Amino acid sequence: MNTLFEARDLRKRYGDITALYLPFFSMEKGETVVLTGRNGSGKSTLLRLLAFLEKPSSGTLRYAGNQNDPRKEITLLLQDPYLMKASVFWNVTLGLRLRGFGRERQKQGYRESMLAVGFADPDGMASRGPGELSGGERQRIALASRLILSPSVLLLDEPTSNVDAASEKAILNVVRSLREKGVSVVCATHDRGIPEALDAREVSVVNEGC
Amino acid sequence: MGYFSEGMQKAIDLLLHMDDATFSAIEATLTSTCCALLIAMALGLPLGFLLGYTNFPGKKFLRLISDTLLAFPTVLIGLIVYVFITYRGPLGQFGLLFTLPGMVIGQTILALPIIVSWTAAAVENLDVRCRETLLTLGASSTQLALHTIREIRYHLGMVCVTAFGRVVTEVGVAMMLGGNIRYSTRTMTTAISLETSKGEFAQGIALGLVLLLIAFLVNFLMSWFRQKGRA
Repeated sequence: MNTLFEARDLRKRYGDITALYLPFFSMEKGETVVLTGRNGSGKSTLLRLLAFLEKPSSGTLRYAGNQNDPRKEITLLLQDPYLMKASVFWNVTLGLRLRGFGRERQKQGYRESMLAVGFADPDGMASRGPGELSGGERQRIALASRLILSPSVLLLDEPTSNVDAASEKAILNVVRSLREKGVSVVCATHDRGIPEALDAREVSVVNEGC
Repeated sequence: MGYFSEGMQKAIDLLLHMDDATFSAIEATLTSTCCALLIAMALGLPLGFLLGYTNFPGKKFLRLISDTLLAFPTVLIGLIVYVFITYRGPLGQFGLLFTLPGMVIGQTILALPIIVSWTAAAVENLDVRCRETLLTLGASSTQLALHTIREIRYHLGMVCVTAFGRVVTEVGVAMMLGGNIRYSTRTMTTAISLETSKGEFAQGIALGLVLLLIAFLVNFLMSWFRQKGRA
């Protein structure tokens, strides 16, 4: 068995509102899963639970990885990513800095991850601030800040919404290359073409608690 | 209006010739304000951060008290501190009344609620995605707190500049606790008040010009912090 995540009777409530009820969900290591569903179906909530940002209100969620600190292996790219009030270099390398890596490793990782998300001139971008970036550039820089960590599991919340065609293409290429490297990817989207574009298993999230 | 232009001319002369009384008032003002601000920052920034960052029973009540103290009249602060440091008061033995340290106590109390409340507000108003982003990048709880502070650094600068502007222009505390003693506790605002009541406009205008310059610098800094905070 190579099960990475297994959830049963997973429920997340905020006060009286049930944001998610999922009777069963599982995925294998190295698999790419696309979550689809209507607004409010609980896709983002499921991603937050899988990222261990929140705990389920009830039910079980099993993760077959680092039990002590799963956030060292799993990272989530938010739907509308937040960039710190600092340079692009600082934002992309923040995760490495949090893990105590030195300047040389940061520089190397910065260059590699920026090239991976389609920036031809990473050095030219390094000193730019978040206010000088387009929506697509922000999304790709946020993705680079996750790729630099070499995660085992990458969770993406609507990564291609509100980005231009070039950025969308770059993001999808990154996801495909990650799958080849054995990285497990869960992507929530409204775009019906994404499961096919990624050749991924589609899981429809229907909030049965609503 | 002749007396005003005459006063203005004399005021410029006082400033250009480094008049002792004028510059003593400027020195007393900046000394007491800077000391009060440093103490208020040392106490208020950590308190404000904890108030905004953590959740505990009674937090809303403490926040309400801190916000209410923002409207504390300076003369009331002066009165309360006066009662404590007057020669018959509990701290009378330290001889703080009509001294710069006495004024600093009152001005610290004036600045503290501004720093506490506005620091807490800066933390509370920080985009929730900042916390989530740090967590998804693997931040520990200590790193989360430190990077939150880093993210609101420009707001904190603005908070300190605002508190400085409030303290440097106040009259009540300086008058009641400092006693407006020439070459000692006379500040710019108390000197302006006194000189105007005597009909001597020159020194009042000179000090007013310096206060205006300080107000300009304060606003310039606020604008810079605001701009950096938005970037």
